[in-house]
Amino acid sequence: MRQAKQTKLGATLPSFMSLPAFLGIGALLAAVFALQEWVEVRQMSRHISFTLLLEAWGVQYLLWGVICWGLWRFLGKKLQTVSLFWALAAVLPLSLLLSVVEEMVWVLCFPNLPLWMPPMKYWPRVLFQLQAEMVDGLVIFWCAFFLFRGVGYYQRFREKEAAAAKLEVQLAQARLHAMRTNLNPHFLFNTLNGISSLMRSDVMAADQMLEQFSNLLRICLERGEAQLIPLHDEMEFNEMYMAMQDRRFGGRVYQEIHVQPELHDALVPAMILQPILENAYRHGLSHVSEAGVLKIEIRKEKARIRLDVLNSGVGLNPEHRRSSDSHHFGLVNVQDRLRLHYGDDQSFSICEIAPAKVLVSITLPLQLCEDPPGVLTEYGA
Amino acid sequence: MIPTILADDEVLARQKLRHMLLDEGEIELVGETGTASETLTLVRREKPDLLFLDIRMHGRDAFDVVEELSSDSDFRMPTVIFTTAHDSYALRAFEVHAADYLLKPFTSERLKIAIQKALLQIQSRQTSQPAINAQNGANPYANRIVFKSRGRILFLPVSTIRWIGAEENYVRICTENESYLLREPIGRLEEKLDPQTFLRVHRSSIVNLQFVKEVRTENTGESVVILLNGQRLSMSRSYRSRINEWLTRC
Repeated sequence: MRQAKQTKLGATLPSFMSLPAFLGIGALLAAVFALQEWVEVRQMSRHISFTLLLEAWGVQYLLWGVICWGLWRFLGKKLQTVSLFWALAAVLPLSLLLSVVEEMVWVLCFPNLPLWMPPMKYWPRVLFQLQAEMVDGLVIFWCAFFLFRGVGYYQRFREKEAAAAKLEVQLAQARLHAMRTNLNPHFLFNTLNGISSLMRSDVMAADQMLEQFSNLLRICLERGEAQLIPLHDEMEFNEMYMAMQDRRFGGRVYQEIHVQPELHDALVPAMILQPILENAYRHGLSHVSEAGVLKIEIRKEKARIRLDVLNSGVGLNPEHRRSSDSHHFGLVNVQDRLRLHYGDDQSFSICEIAPAKVLVSITLPLQLCEDPPGVLTEYGA
Repeated sequence: MIPTILADDEVLARQKLRHMLLDEGEIELVGETGTASETLTLVRREKPDLLFLDIRMHGRDAFDVVEELSSDSDFRMPTVIFTTAHDSYALRAFEVHAADYLLKPFTSERLKIAIQKALLQIQSRQTSQPAINAQNGANPYANRIVFKSRGRILFLPVSTIRWIGAEENYVRICTENESYLLREPIGRLEEKLDPQTFLRVHRSSIVNLQFVKEVRTENTGESVVILLNGQRLSMSRSYRSRINEWLTRC
């Protein structure tokens, strides 16, 4: 099986959350606060060097810039998803610690500050500084914290949008592919030739084949835009597809379908089984001349739904596979769509469980359709 | 012979139906039309018993035709079989008591079924039209069910149902050759079916008594209902008394 290329959603961080950006914002804030203090001091008719103010505020905010960037870089994911308990138990102490450490570093950088005060030793200065600046530090930390959370929400929103768009395209492809399967030249002309031949011998059979074909197309066209559909609808389509194939195979294939009753309303991706059935007929059942078997079993496993398709035929012999690489599009598409719908919460496997018996298994989280599409059922005289 | 008119704006569609109807001994084709107004005129003149009606024709649609014909109280409305490529009018067709709803393209097999239903309707109308109407007023039970299954529209006479099995929110309706899965609680279906004919024998099954061969108690003490075709359905004790009542009645 060719491995589909891994789609990386959510791995990209927004480019605006970089170190230069953090430092730039720090510098900007520093400049604003320095200017503000300079003006204040001037109004109190005292003099102070603007350069010194700029240095003091600059170091203060650049330190915070580095701290915030570090938080984002190393703890960003955790902070985005942290629960209230851990926010209180871990992030709150962290904010206090970082505020203290930042002030300690700052005091170390400026031994001559504060101005207009008798000279003090290091620790008293730290204490003095903390009294004045502790709250500011906490405010900065928590602003950054909520900014990260906001960015997280924004990212997830964008990811969902991107995934939905991608899914749309994939489904359209699957639908187109299913249409092509029914209408591909091989199938179409064989069917037409079959009908043409039947018209000479068995007009009823020719008629039936045409009717089945149009019913299949009708369902296919009317399915609408829903990505996830109730299993009942999906199986109805598959039953029709299998009935068509059965006619082509002249009843040579024994078909069995078993669906656990509580799963009729389970949501599954539209046309998830059709490519698998197509594969079973093309690569397995079409290679055997005697009785073939095709079984579908769908059952519940705890909170999951398991879809098994078993077919007899030629097994997974690589020689048979190589001859028809293009057909694997179907299975790759199935896997891609499963991954896009359910992320890692799904599984797809294809294996030869006995000689010349191939089993395809899919498991999905079980979701039930809350509001099934309007059904036409009415009673009357 | 049943005088019949077919109305379709497609020449080829008429041609196909005309050919198919040649094989149906009871049908006597008395006219063909391509528009709604022509149809009205011809039906009023010929007074056929059966009308094949395409839903979308030039001008007014088939329901206008039906409405206009049935608004005339002196005129006896022919039995209608709709023929169309669209499945979205099925409910309306069912409500105006159409005999059947044929989705194009249909097989001659499918046409035969439709004609059988139409014949039944025509017969019952001819024999006892007023009585039927009175009975309909009094009888709250369904004679037929309309639903979609595998790309087809079915107007299923309930008398063809052999048994019904519950599958959670769905029911499986089994007839002689086919089974249909409908999203319908079994309780609601039970309410709609005449208890004289349909008996709930288990939390999850209803049988048509017309198709019951026998009721048997196994060595294990379990009761089963055996249908004419050999199908066995288990019966719960709480429903046992009901079937005994029915057995004594027979």
